[in-house]
Parts: sequence; structure tokens; C-alpha cells
Amino acid sequence: MFAILYVLVIAEPDDGTGGGWRTTNFGSALDDPGGFLQVLLDALTFAGLLFIVASGFSLIFGLMRVVNMAHGSFYLLAGYIAYEVQQSMTGEGFSIPGSEVNTWEWVFPMIVAAACVALLGLIVQQLLLSWNQGEDLRQALITIAVSVIIADQVIAHFPRTGVFEVGGGNAVSMTWPGWTERFVDLRLWGVQYSLARLVMLALGVVVGILLYLWLYRTKTGMVIRAGVDDRQMTSALGINIQKTFAIAFVVGAALAGVGAVVGSSQGNIASGQDTQWLLNSLIVVIIGGMGSLLGAAAGSLLYALVLTFSASYLPIIGTECCTNYSIVITFALLAIVLAFRPQGLFGRAG
Amino acid sequence: MRRLRSWKLLLPLAALVAVGSVSVSGSLAASSQASEVRVAIMTDCKGAFAFGYELDIGGAQAAFAQYAGGKPKNRKKPSAGMTGIRVGNTPVNIVGYGCGDDTAPTAIKETRRLMEQLRADVMVGPLSGDEAVAVANYAKGKPTKTFIIGTAGSQDPTMQIAPKNMFRYHGDGAQWNAGLGEIVYKRLGWRRAAIIMDDYSFGWTSGAGIIADFCAIGGQITKRVFPPLNTTDYAPYIRQLPRPGTVDGYFWVVGGTGTGASLKAFEQAYGRLDPKQHAGNLFFAFLGADKEVAPKVVGAYVGGFGTAPGLKTKQARAYEAVIKKWYPDLPAADGFVHNYYNAAWALVLGLQKSGGRVGAALQAAMPRALKGGYEVSDNGQIRLDSRRQAIQDQYPLQIVKQGNSIVTQVVGYVPNVDQSFGGLFKPSSPPPGRAQPKCVKKKLPWQGKIKVVRNGVITNQTIR
Amino acid sequence: MSSLALDPKVAVERVVGVGVLVLLAAGPAVFNDYWISTILTQTLFFGIAASSLVFLYAYGGMISLAQTALMGISAYLLGNMVTQRVPGGETKGLTLGWDPTLALVLAIVITTLIGLVFGAVASRSLGIYFLMLTLTYAVIANYFFGQVTQFGGFSPIAGINQYTPGFVGDLIDHPDKLYYIALGTALCVYVVTRYLARTPFGLSLQGIRDDPVRMTSLGYTVPLHRTLAFGYAAFVASLAGILLVWWDGQIAPGNIGIGATIELLVMCVIGGLARIEGAWLGAFAFIVINNYVRDVELPVVGGSFNTIIGLIFLVIVLVSPDGLMGIWDRLWGAIRRGGGGGRPEPAAVGASTAREAGSS
Repeated sequence: MFAILYVLVIAEPDDGTGGGWRTTNFGSALDDPGGFLQVLLDALTFAGLLFIVASGFSLIFGLMRVVNMAHGSFYLLAGYIAYEVQQSMTGEGFSIPGSEVNTWEWVFPMIVAAACVALLGLIVQQLLLSWNQGEDLRQALITIAVSVIIADQVIAHFPRTGVFEVGGGNAVSMTWPGWTERFVDLRLWGVQYSLARLVMLALGVVVGILLYLWLYRTKTGMVIRAGVDDRQMTSALGINIQKTFAIAFVVGAALAGVGAVVGSSQGNIASGQDTQWLLNSLIVVIIGGMGSLLGAAAGSLLYALVLTFSASYLPIIGTECCTNYSIVITFALLAIVLAFRPQGLFGRAG
Repeated sequence: MRRLRSWKLLLPLAALVAVGSVSVSGSLAASSQASEVRVAIMTDCKGAFAFGYELDIGGAQAAFAQYAGGKPKNRKKPSAGMTGIRVGNTPVNIVGYGCGDDTAPTAIKETRRLMEQLRADVMVGPLSGDEAVAVANYAKGKPTKTFIIGTAGSQDPTMQIAPKNMFRYHGDGAQWNAGLGEIVYKRLGWRRAAIIMDDYSFGWTSGAGIIADFCAIGGQITKRVFPPLNTTDYAPYIRQLPRPGTVDGYFWVVGGTGTGASLKAFEQAYGRLDPKQHAGNLFFAFLGADKEVAPKVVGAYVGGFGTAPGLKTKQARAYEAVIKKWYPDLPAADGFVHNYYNAAWALVLGLQKSGGRVGAALQAAMPRALKGGYEVSDNGQIRLDSRRQAIQDQYPLQIVKQGNSIVTQVVGYVPNVDQSFGGLFKPSSPPPGRAQPKCVKKKLPWQGKIKVVRNGVITNQTIR
Repeated sequence: MSSLALDPKVAVERVVGVGVLVLLAAGPAVFNDYWISTILTQTLFFGIAASSLVFLYAYGGMISLAQTALMGISAYLLGNMVTQRVPGGETKGLTLGWDPTLALVLAIVITTLIGLVFGAVASRSLGIYFLMLTLTYAVIANYFFGQVTQFGGFSPIAGINQYTPGFVGDLIDHPDKLYYIALGTALCVYVVTRYLARTPFGLSLQGIRDDPVRMTSLGYTVPLHRTLAFGYAAFVASLAGILLVWWDGQIAPGNIGIGATIELLVMCVIGGLARIEGAWLGAFAFIVINNYVRDVELPVVGGSFNTIIGLIFLVIVLVSPDGLMGIWDRLWGAIRRGGGGGRPEPAAVGASTAREAGSS
């Protein structure tokens, strides 16, 4: 409550005098609604990206109880594959200006990358996970081993246009299609906002809607939801749960791929980001609750909101305090949520 | 019978024990004998700087090939190894390559493996800032071993910690940025600027060089923003920067992997980047950034890496020819290659003087001056100060378009940059941090003496 | 076989155990310097940390990912308290310069208290939720020490092993001493943990592990038992942290990052989560593999030794769900049934499938 009040009323813009406990980068939401709106949109659009990646993780987790520790590695691999495909399509080399990328040259790499990691996911699931269903910890460890291998292989082979020969895993980035490179006038307190970031939010919403339709309006989806609720019962009813598991794993891996394309267009892709994205996915799922679509959405939103607002609205006291601690505060809040709701916001107890 | 079989099970255990006890007994041979010199090359093969692996090894081995008769096993792949290195009558063996991931704990683990298990006498490396801090602290407890930093840019290893057995033949992150502040002050008229820097020792040291230089000539740093390493979304940190129009420009010290992502976040907040409003450290132009980042900021000024791409001096040409001769694909003007090359070369010179002896004899014999590829002042020699840290010429750069490709071009020559910035940094002062150094107007040794470099030729004009 | 006579398996284990102990006690006489100062010392203290994780799982049914963080917390506490800001001294952390003995005690006590608080908060969570919550602790600790520069920041706090208590003495020049301290500590931890399992507390903890509902209805306070168990595990982890920082001399956020957290779990699983001994066995295997698998290159797929390490772990996990201790138990079972060839064949199959997965 105090946090909300603080953002709304108390905060004052930095006047360059070093600041006190009321000094922030932005004025309060009432004084500086434009700034507030921008920060809010930053959070919402980031949540869109988080949701795309984490929903795949959550799906696998919820249905199969597999903590897929290789999710981040799938992300990393897909990001590099998409980059290479986009490079070869535009023939540009290096960093491509947005004006030379059309929608197809963005969508096609995404399809290729998502298909590649979906296939990889299928192989991993069929070869390594399908026969030891129910051994949660062992499966998590198998995926850890897989992630170690993938991370090393990515460094060995990507990017194809490295500093020295092939490989190295240095940072490269995808390019959004040219038409997103502009600002949208929101006609609200004079705020102009990046279309690319709004597209990112829209993609998150689209993925959410598609997943919803799939899970709640198709037969496969119903079987998956039944599997989440009661695995034994579902298979006792004569439903081929193994096939359902395979489908869910493929979709989950593909979502990591789609997320990677969005993420590497938004930022970039580089060796080391696999761990970061695994962590991001874990956090979203921890907050939201496992295996619930709504939970993944809520988890993404809360995580993005807290991270973004604490970085933007924590008071400035000298150069040492306090915006630097936004990430610590984010996780402290997370621990509090968990202490009161161990199963996450939308998870089921037990 | 049963008993017997059960004992069989102990075989693997016995085997492991045997491995332990057999794997060479004791460290007798290491220190005083002149029979062979064991050298380790420490670099990264995981994490954000994994791509430095071949560059670093290649740079170091090119020097061994040129000055000590080493034969590369594979000219396309330096890490395949090198044989036949000899200094005088002493064979030099490269006993192993270290694989760090730019964190301190891994660096220490690898250093122990190289120095204690593989019994290296000398280490060339490590690669990055915090690794060097960790290794410097480790070096304190190993006075008979010699450490020559590869290409790490943190200040502490040769300033606050400064173990007597550690040498650095290149500038630290602050030195690399000498002159950048003055150039944007004079050429672009910046007076008030903001700085965004990675929240760790290399970021702070690199930023310290920019802040010291810019403030010394009279500029003001109005805001310092510190995104943590591994930030996924830079938008909230970009929002912390003052809006365009309220400052003249922005210094970027976000790197490794975050450079591109943070610049994109700026574009998404404020539109296309105006190169006159942005200046960066080496992460704008080196370490693969020339491909990812540079095209976005054509025209921007960039801090150096102790190298001068395209400098037309005899010494530079000769150095580049050496690299090309042994490893044709290595980019000679990359600081990774150049700094590891100098480190290994210095080692060869030291061994020549010490007659192949290591330990204290080698430490005493390590050269106090080195004809580095891009050095011009003092007859083209890098000199070491009393804490064994290089005093080196620096070359601020500009990103320019040349035909269809985007290249970095040297714009200035800053002679004899020392680590203390004319007394601003001291062993007794705290190392660079979030609030260090303060923004103060000061006379720096090179202030007003930066020479214009045009088409790779150092002119007599000073930057105005 | 008569039930009165000692089970041959136990007998063999005891013989092996005593043998290993004698070997370790002989220490420097048998092993070279590097093995003593690095491989075995590391094995001993990582084993201690791993044993705290195994203890929680084997007797409490809880998988805690916070043990690495707790280890780091005690190391950071010690580092902040003992180092001094003198010329040529340390520059990171609080550099309080307190008496090393006092700091040692405080570091262990505070870490244990933090563990009790963590445990109390987590005591109502079960299974995967408990794992998640403890992972969150680990992440908080990592970011806390990484971001709050007053307590360290991203760079390491170094030189901590210069300030050891008088009764410990100089560890930098005497790695043997640290080795024996680690060996003694490991032995104590092992004995105390085994003993604890047989106390009424340990027995009720195991009861709670198997059926918390019944134990509650029998009048046991389940959360209290869990909290105390977590507190004990934090105490054990804090000992490991002290040894870590005496060994390494420095502590950095990387020591307690998500990578290090996962590594400790991997050690436990390689060794086997069901038995305390597995902790040291797993730590030993992990460290030896990491240390010796080098300069090997896979012919077709390329990549560095990390790929090979990944493959080895994959094989171990695929072959035996209970790690190396599990392989031992199953081998014994096979022998006891009289079927001489008790060697598990799936190893080869596992390896080939893993390679396919890695290369695709």
C-alpha cells in the first residue's frame, strides 16, 4: 500500500541536489502522469516477453512435473538459429537496419527457430524423459545435463560469423521488422511510445489467447488439463498420456523459441543468457503458480511490475542508494509472496 | 568366493586412489631448476567473453612463435597447441589453457588447476576485471609464481592489491578511456553528460577513466546509472537517465553482452540515436561490437583498448605482420590479441634475461619497457611503473563508414597515460566504485596535448 | 543368513569406510600436494555442504537449494568481519577487522539463525514448493551480496584466510593443516548427523517425512521439526562456508550463484541422495571429473570439455537414479542374488543417446 501511495503522491523528481527519501527519477503519478504511464508500459511490455518464454516452461512443469532446466538453453539455441536465418535472408551481415527487414524476414526465422528447438525438445523428451516419468528430481537433473551440453555446443558453433572463425557465443541481435521502428502517439499526457515494445506486448497477448483456445477449446487441451489435475486418472481412462506429454513438451520448447526471437529482437542473444532466462522462467512460475496459464500471466505481470517500478521509483539518496537495489527488493517481495502463498498466486495447494 | 567378488567392487575406488597418488609426486622440479619453464595461459571459454578464447591464446602464442621458435599446430585454431618453444637452452612448455567464465570463483579454480596441478611457473592471463582481482589476491600467497595479466581492465590488481609477482603490460580500463572526455568536450561541445555503467569492477574502472577525463577538463557528470550485470530489460535503467535535451550527451559503459540491448532500449525510449550525443567505451567497437553495435552509432567517439587500428607506423605494421604470419585470421588490432601478445613477449624477454630461471629471478628480469605494436612515445616503448603497471599511449577512436563497411578509426593520440591519472587514483584511495571517483576539475598530464590523428598518421596539431 | 550376524554388505562398507579413513588420515604421505590442497580439501568441505542437503532430503524429505547460499552467507559474514582496511589490505566489504575467533563464532551463529528464519518461513511448504522457495532464498542471497556493495559487491572480498583464529594458525603456507581441519570437521558432521537421525528428534523427523498428517494427529508440531532440521542444516552449511573461505581466501557472488547452487545439487545426486555418505562420494566424483576431463575434443560435434562433462553427468543420472551409492546398492543386490554379472549395461546406451541429443 505504501509503495502505491509513494509512487502516486510522495515522489518528487530529481532536482540534482543529491536527493532525499522523496526524490525519485520521476515525479509522483499525479504530478507526472506521463512518466508514470511510460514506466507502466515498460513493465507491461516486458511482461509480454516474460510470458511467452515462461508459459512454455509452466506448461511442461504443470503437466509433467518436469522442471525443464534446459528451457534457457532452448532459448539460447533458438535465438542464434533465428539470427542466422535472418542474416542469410537479408544477406546484410552484422547488424541489420530495421528498414531492410520486412515482416516475413522476421516471421520466417521465428518459425525455423521454434521448429528446431521443438524438434530438439521432442528428441529430449522421447529419448531421455519419457521412460522415467514421475521421477521429478532425476528428470530435472537430466535436463541440467542437457543444458550443459547445449550451452557448450552453442558456444562452439554460434554465431557463424564470429570474431574469429566460427563460434564464441558473442552477442548478436535480431532486427524487428522496419514498420515497428516508430513511436505511437498515445494521445494521453503527450506520451509517445515505441511500437516495437507494444508489438512485444501484443505478441504476449496473442500467445496467451492461442494457448487459452488450445487448452480450453480443443480435445488435446482438455486432455492436458485433465493430465495436470490427475495424471493417473487420465491415463486410466484409456487416454494416451505419453502422446500428450510429447505434444506439451514440443509446444513448451517451441514457446522458448518464439520467446527467444522476440527477446533477441528486443535486446540481443549471447552466451550466458541461458541461465538468466531459466531464472526468469522459474521466478514467473514460482510467483504465479505451476501449470496454470493465468498463473504464468500473473507471475509475468507482477515480476515485471515490481522490477520496473522499483528501478524507476525507488528514492535516490546520493549515488549509492537505492535504485541499485531494485533487484534485491524484487526478490524479497517474492519471498514474502511465497511465505504466505507457497503454491504461488494461482497454484493449487498440495 | 563371495568375498572375493565383493572385493572386486573396490577396484574402481582403488583406481581412483591410484590416480591420485601416481599423478606426479610433489613439486620438487618446479621453482629453482632451469630444466624447463612451465607456462599456463588463462582465458575464458564460457560466459560473456567465451569468444576471447582463441584470440587470447593466439595472441600469446604468436609471440612465442615469433620470439621463441614455437610452432603452431594449427594456424586456424590456436588452442590446438604449440610445440618447440625455447628460450636460449630452456624449453618452454605450455602446460594448459584456463577456462574461466568471467567470474572470480571460476578464475581461482582454474588458476589453482594450472598453477598447482599442472605446476605452471608462470601464468599469462586472466581475461577480465574481477578475475584479475581474484588472481591478484591469489598471487600474493604464491610469491614464487609469476603472473602476467592477459587483458583485464580492473584497477585494483596493480593499484590497491599490487602483488610483487604480478605484471601488466597494458592499460587498465580507465587508461583505455583517456582522452575521450576531452575530445567530446572540445569537438562536440559537451558540458553536462550522464553515464550508464555496468555495476562491477570493470564497469566502474572503465567509467572512472571517462569521468576523470571529462570532469578534469571542466565537464559535469549529472547522473550515474548502474544496471546490474545480466539485466534482461534495460528499459527501467534507460528511464533513469536524464532525458535528451537536459544533458549534452551520454557515456556508455555497458558491455560484454548488454551493449546492444541497452542501446536498443534507448532507441525505444527516445528514437534514433544521434551519434553526436553518444560516446562509449571499448564495448562500442571491440569484442564483436563492431558488428552488433557500431552500425547504430556511426560517427560516435569511442574509448580505446590500448590499440590503434590502422595506425601507420613501422612498428605497428611490423606487429600486424607478425600476427598475420602465425595466425592469419586473428584481428591484430583487437586488444585481446595485442595484450596477450605483449604479455607473452615480455615473458620471453624476461626468460632470456634470467637465463631460463623462474621465480624471483624471473620477476627481477621481467622487462621494464616493451616495444608494443602501437606505442609511439619514449621511442615506442611501453614502460612499467613502480607497481609493475604499464604506462601506455592511448588512442580514442571514432566509428566511421568506409564504403560499405563500418570501421573504427583512430582520431587522437594520448601519450604516456599512467594508471594514476596524474595522482587522481592512489593505492591508498578506494578503487573505482559507484561514487568513485568524484567529478573534479583537475590538470591531467595529457590535457591539451592530445594530438590529432588523421588517416592513421599522428599530426602535430592538438585536438581543439 | 542369520539376522544376528553382521550383514556382509555393512561389513564391507565398514571395511571400505575405515580403509578410506586411514588413507585420508595418512593424507600427505599418500597423496601429492595438489590432491591434498585442492581435490581432497574441496571434496571434504563441498561434501559437508552436500551432506546438509542430503540430510534434509534423506531424513526430512525436503530438497533445499539454499545450502550453497547459506554456505556463502557464513563466508561473507566472516569476510566482512575479519578483513582490515589497511594499506595493501582489503578494499571490499565492511572491513571491520574484528577478532577472528569472535568473527568465526558470530558467522556460524548468525548463519544458523538465518537458517532458522528461512526454515520457519519455508516449513509449511512441501515438495517442489519447498524447492522453489529455497531457490528464491539462494537468488536473494546472490543478488544481495552482488548489489549491496557495502557487504561486498560483485568483486570478491579477498584475503580472508590471512585472518584465522590463533588456534587454527596460518593456513596459507600450510595447506595440510586446512586439510586436516576439513577432515576432522567432515568426520564430526558425519558422526553427528548419523547420531541425530537416531535421536527421538531424528526419528520423528523421519516420521514427518513419511506421513506428516499422521504425525500431526499424533501431536507432533511438524513445522517446528522442519524448522529445526533446516537450522541444523544451515549450521552444517555454515561450517562448509568457513572452510571454503579459508581455502579460497575470497568469496564472491559467483560462489553462490545459480550455477554453484545447481552444482551442489548435482554433487548430491551423483553421490546419491538417500545416504549421507553419498554427499562426499558425489563431491569427490564431481571435482575429479571437472578437474581431469580436459583437452579432450569430441570428433564430430566439437565443443569443449564441458560437453563431455555434461555427457558424463547425463550417463550417471540415466544409469542410476540414486547416484553412485545407488549403483553400489544395486550391485550388491545383484551379487546377493547370485547372478554374478551384476554390471549394468545401460551405460553404453545412455551415452549414445546423449550424444545424439547433444549434436542435434
